Amino acid sequence: MTGTKTENRLLDVKGLTVEIETRSGPAVIVDGIDLHVDRGETLGVVGESGCGKSLTMLSLMRLLPNKIHVAKGEAHFDGRDLQKMSNRELRKVRGGDIGFVFQDPMTSLNPVMRIGEQLAEPLIYHRGMSKKEARARAVELLRLVGIPGPEQRIEAYPHELSGGMRQRVMIAIGLACEPKLLIADEPTTALDVTIQAQIVDLVKGLREKLGMSVVWITHDLALIAGLVDRVIVLYAGTVVEDAPVDELYAHPRHPYTRGLLASIPKLSDQPASRLNSIGGTPPEPGRRPQGCPFAPRCPLAMDICRTHVPKLEPVAAAGSHRTACFAAEKAREAA
Amino acid sequence: MSAVQTEPATLSEEPPVSLWRDAWYRLKRNRLAIFGLCVIVLLAFTAIFGPYLTPYDFLGQDLEARNQAPSFAHLFGTDDLGRDVFSRVVYGTRTAFLVAVVVTAIALVIGTVLGAVAGFFGNPFDRVIMWLTDVTMSVPNLLLVVVINASLKTPIAQWMEARYLETLNPFYRETVWIDFLLVFGSMALISWPPYARLVRAQVLSIRSRPYITAAQALGLSNRIILTRYVIPNALGPLIVAVSAGLGTAMVLESAFSFLGVGVNPPTPSWGNMISDGLRVWQHYPHLLAAPAAVLGLASVAFSFLGDGLNDALNPRGSK
Repeated sequence: MTGTKTENRLLDVKGLTVEIETRSGPAVIVDGIDLHVDRGETLGVVGESGCGKSLTMLSLMRLLPNKIHVAKGEAHFDGRDLQKMSNRELRKVRGGDIGFVFQDPMTSLNPVMRIGEQLAEPLIYHRGMSKKEARARAVELLRLVGIPGPEQRIEAYPHELSGGMRQRVMIAIGLACEPKLLIADEPTTALDVTIQAQIVDLVKGLREKLGMSVVWITHDLALIAGLVDRVIVLYAGTVVEDAPVDELYAHPRHPYTRGLLASIPKLSDQPASRLNSIGGTPPEPGRRPQGCPFAPRCPLAMDICRTHVPKLEPVAAAGSHRTACFAAEKAREAA
Repeated sequence: MSAVQTEPATLSEEPPVSLWRDAWYRLKRNRLAIFGLCVIVLLAFTAIFGPYLTPYDFLGQDLEARNQAPSFAHLFGTDDLGRDVFSRVVYGTRTAFLVAVVVTAIALVIGTVLGAVAGFFGNPFDRVIMWLTDVTMSVPNLLLVVVINASLKTPIAQWMEARYLETLNPFYRETVWIDFLLVFGSMALISWPPYARLVRAQVLSIRSRPYITAAQALGLSNRIILTRYVIPNALGPLIVAVSAGLGTAMVLESAFSFLGVGVNPPTPSWGNMISDGLRVWQHYPHLLAAPAAVLGLASVAFSFLGDGLNDALNPRGSK
């Protein structure tokens, strides 16, 4: 593990378990996740839809929807446990110390409020600015995220902006109070490819300018290659692999990670060839198999995989690369 | 960040169009709605300034000129006491608007607050408030109003009389206020549940929208989220409901006055004028026709406007 020094840890999550209430009792969605983000670090969180990426991040901020709750676990942010904080303290952290950028810019802005007001809201609330100061800062923020004509744009309503512009506004709102951590939950999923690259570049530039940490949730491994320092791969609510980004691309150990990387189409592929995919779907909450949750879909599954749950352990050679797989060695040989 | 400039500026000179201006633009093209709006504006003007402009006092009796047919001297004729019907209809407009506006305002405030709390905070508030709503809606309106009037009017009148004897303050002799108080109170009491239900349903659907989670992620308080994010987004259907509700309240007031449980004579109300006119309509049809026509016109105007607002504010719902 890199940087075990605790003072360098901005976010430290231990054993986070999230459950959903169902008619047949609680079902685990996020199963004892450990993750950490160092100061100034950018972490990529990768996985298929429904593997608990967003819920993990929402649960940190205690923003889970009805019937879903944190069953156990700790989440220390800047030395304080977010799960034990009072609502009042937590509200200061939300928007103030942790900025959030949501997946869908089309529906994440209040349609009846001018974007200038929406930008000003956290500034007035967290920084105690006057309306006038907040407005001036809103213009500055819009300029920062590369929106042309910010003086006019703050008067606009969300429906007057394109998707890319709205996502820039969302990022500006997330950054308004200069948070220590920006959590971006699939911020490019709803956008087309050219805009995706712009948004990635934008966050990359801002991260350096503001010196913040970023958690970037995505299912697109290729997109974040140049952005993140380290990647954790989630599958069915567990961390299956945790590695520095270059290491992960060069030597993926977990069969799931390998599957994800193999499913990225390459230009060198035969035009008519079938796209690679991982067969099957992730297990539904409450229906996880005994043993490794990936075993039913895993090409390398052994008997032990169906009876025992593998632990997240360092891969022999590289200390900062960890994976939860009994077949990791085999996978290396296969590679 | 060199890619930033590639996106073209989509709007430049044009001032930003708010949702409201957009809705107004759509409303303007709806002739019936504009007709309704014009009638309402005219009636509202009449309600406010009419009583100062009429040629006769609405109580002034001219026993020489009773039951006259409409003429230039008396546009709508005169009634059995020689009072000018036009002046009385004008004053009745004031009564109708006063009741409609006050009742709708009270019902709207109660309904919005209860509905928003029920929808936003969920159980146990939701259960208690919805139970209260159901109970109120299950009691027949007319019966409730009759019971309230019958049981409260006399005690209040007696109390006022006692206060008058004690203080000799002429205010306590003004029995008109008892009427209004009871009419406002009882009508508001039966009018709030639809607003509460509507607001609750709106809030329930808005509460789960991403921008509410986004607002929570910004650390905004529940109060700000409710007043600046939830309620403004629930306003469209609420405005439609208010427009229709004003018309309903007006008709309801007339109905109660017609039945003698609303505003009492001599204060003119369309309802009690219709009631009086009904007894002699074979001989003097204008006594029934004048207030009934105005009531009908007002009711139709509000429902046209309500329909138009519905199409303007919820464009997806219209064809």
